[in-house]
Amino acid sequence: MKFIPLIIRNVLRNKIRTLFTGSSIAMSLFLVVLLYSFLMIQDEILEATKPYNRIMVTNVQGLTGNLPIAYLDRIRKMDEVRSAIPFSWFGGRYREETIPFAQFGTDSKYVTDVLQEYKVPDDQLDAWQADKTGCVVGALIAKNKGWKIGDKIPLKGDIYPVDLELTVRGIYDGDSTVDREQLWFHFEYMDEALKAKQQPMAGNAGIVMLRAKSGPIMPELMEKIDKQFASSDAPVRAMTEKEFQQSFMEMMGSVKFFINVISGIVVFSLLIVAGNTMAMALRERTREVAVLKAIGFGRGTILGMVLCEAVIIGLLGGVAGALGAKLLFATVDFSRWLTGFGFLYVPWRTALLGLVLAGFIGLASGIIPAWRAAQLSVVDGLRKIV
Amino acid sequence: MPYDASDSVVQLLDVSKEFMRDKIRIPVLTNTTLHIPKGDFAAIMGPSGSGKSTLLNLAAGLDRPTTGRVIVNGQDLGVLSEAGLSRFRSENLGFIFQMYNLMPVLTAFENVELPLLLAPLNRAQRRQHVEAALRIVSLADRQDHYPRQLSGGQEQRVAIARAIANDPVLLLADEPTGNLDATSAQEVLDLLELLNTQFGTTIIMVTHDPKAARRAKRLLHLEKGTFVQADIEALETSR
Repeated sequence: MKFIPLIIRNVLRNKIRTLFTGSSIAMSLFLVVLLYSFLMIQDEILEATKPYNRIMVTNVQGLTGNLPIAYLDRIRKMDEVRSAIPFSWFGGRYREETIPFAQFGTDSKYVTDVLQEYKVPDDQLDAWQADKTGCVVGALIAKNKGWKIGDKIPLKGDIYPVDLELTVRGIYDGDSTVDREQLWFHFEYMDEALKAKQQPMAGNAGIVMLRAKSGPIMPELMEKIDKQFASSDAPVRAMTEKEFQQSFMEMMGSVKFFINVISGIVVFSLLIVAGNTMAMALRERTREVAVLKAIGFGRGTILGMVLCEAVIIGLLGGVAGALGAKLLFATVDFSRWLTGFGFLYVPWRTALLGLVLAGFIGLASGIIPAWRAAQLSVVDGLRKIV
Repeated sequence: MPYDASDSVVQLLDVSKEFMRDKIRIPVLTNTTLHIPKGDFAAIMGPSGSGKSTLLNLAAGLDRPTTGRVIVNGQDLGVLSEAGLSRFRSENLGFIFQMYNLMPVLTAFENVELPLLLAPLNRAQRRQHVEAALRIVSLADRQDHYPRQLSGGQEQRVAIARAIANDPVLLLADEPTGNLDATSAQEVLDLLELLNTQFGTTIIMVTHDPKAARRAKRLLHLEKGTFVQADIEALETSR
């Protein structure tokens, strides 16, 4: 503790250099923390869906295969099923936007029972149920696009060759794990439009999402569903919501790998940058280190002081980068500019992990300069000046 | 006068020191023996390369002799580890350098406090020591000034305060006036004389300056690693 003032003074000795080093650590950690937050949030969302006992049913070939809407009633009639809905991805284009947001054709009567954590005010739910062309939108997307109850939302079909003219009848909300950037409309509205155009895609639910009566019966229920449609024209595959989401994540497997590789390269580069800075700082202070050793500062004390200095510089960058990212995403809503990223926030454990990483970068970058300073011969160090 | 070894603060016993430069052996000190009694103020003179600084480094435990023994304040430095030598220096020695070597990021007070950080003293005790040392060098009013805010002479006086803050038994000064103008050099030499006469501090001073050497009680002359003259009488005569 007695040496802290000297360590702090050395950190602030060359403010520009400390600022640049700290900034490079801060910016890199900001990026790393965001990338890891993205991965961690995926896991958190998967965990959050666990208590709702939801099962997703798709064609055995996956999302591209047909899942007849007639299956929905047969699934609903199963004793173990509490409720079930179609959940059909529409993927229409809204005005001039090129990237579609999430739009699903579903059943307004049961959707809030299956998606229990998604909250729609009762009067708005009633209004939606009463309007065939009505829709319900997430609170975040409504805010970002400026939608209000009664607004018209035209969707131009891209996958499906039909256009939908929707009216906002309700706005759903939920906690941080709820995706508040979706739009739900009546499955029948889309299906009737397809039938009117005699499209072969008519009658395809895409996905059936159901809620089991309890958790323990889910494995048995999934097996039962698989068996029931095994010999039909469109055999199905039932899986838990977590498995379904994980299958998406598996497609992102390489993304995970790249995030790890990029983070590794960033950390390694930072080690070199910060290590070089510390080495330069110590080289300039060779004389001072020699004097400290001459008046009795031992190797351990010198080693500790230099390492402390390096850790402080690392942590300064960490506070700015990791905690800065936490603060920034807690106060600024980036979904306004990044559609689909409304769920992105920085969990505390990721921010703290970033801080620890910053401390580690500081420590590791200081090891070689600190070791050299500790080993410096006083005679050689002083000879440079006399 | 018969020599009493028990009274010596510094004893160099048959000390030789060689350096290796590109596989060439360079002898710097050759079978040198030296006794510095308690309360002495010895000036070491000699041409460049004669071994003055090497001798000072050996006495300070900053370097080890090739052969021979170095005993300071009764402690054989050869038996001490690196950590032991560091501790020994912090408890027994004070250093004054030609270039002052103050920490530019610390105030005069904090520079003087540096060696005391290694001593088992609390904050108040350290403050007491620092203020006393700064009073001795007449810089009590400049304790909050940084080295860049002081003149060369003042910087060297702060360096002296740092050297005496832990009340060392031996003060080692390497060209303490080498970087100073005549007036500042006189002030520094006055201080060293005061420390020696009033506080009984033993001082070894390496210098090129005969005027500085005259302020010492004893003159030692090194040439090619051997003392060739140690005649304070001659020096006194020349005063």
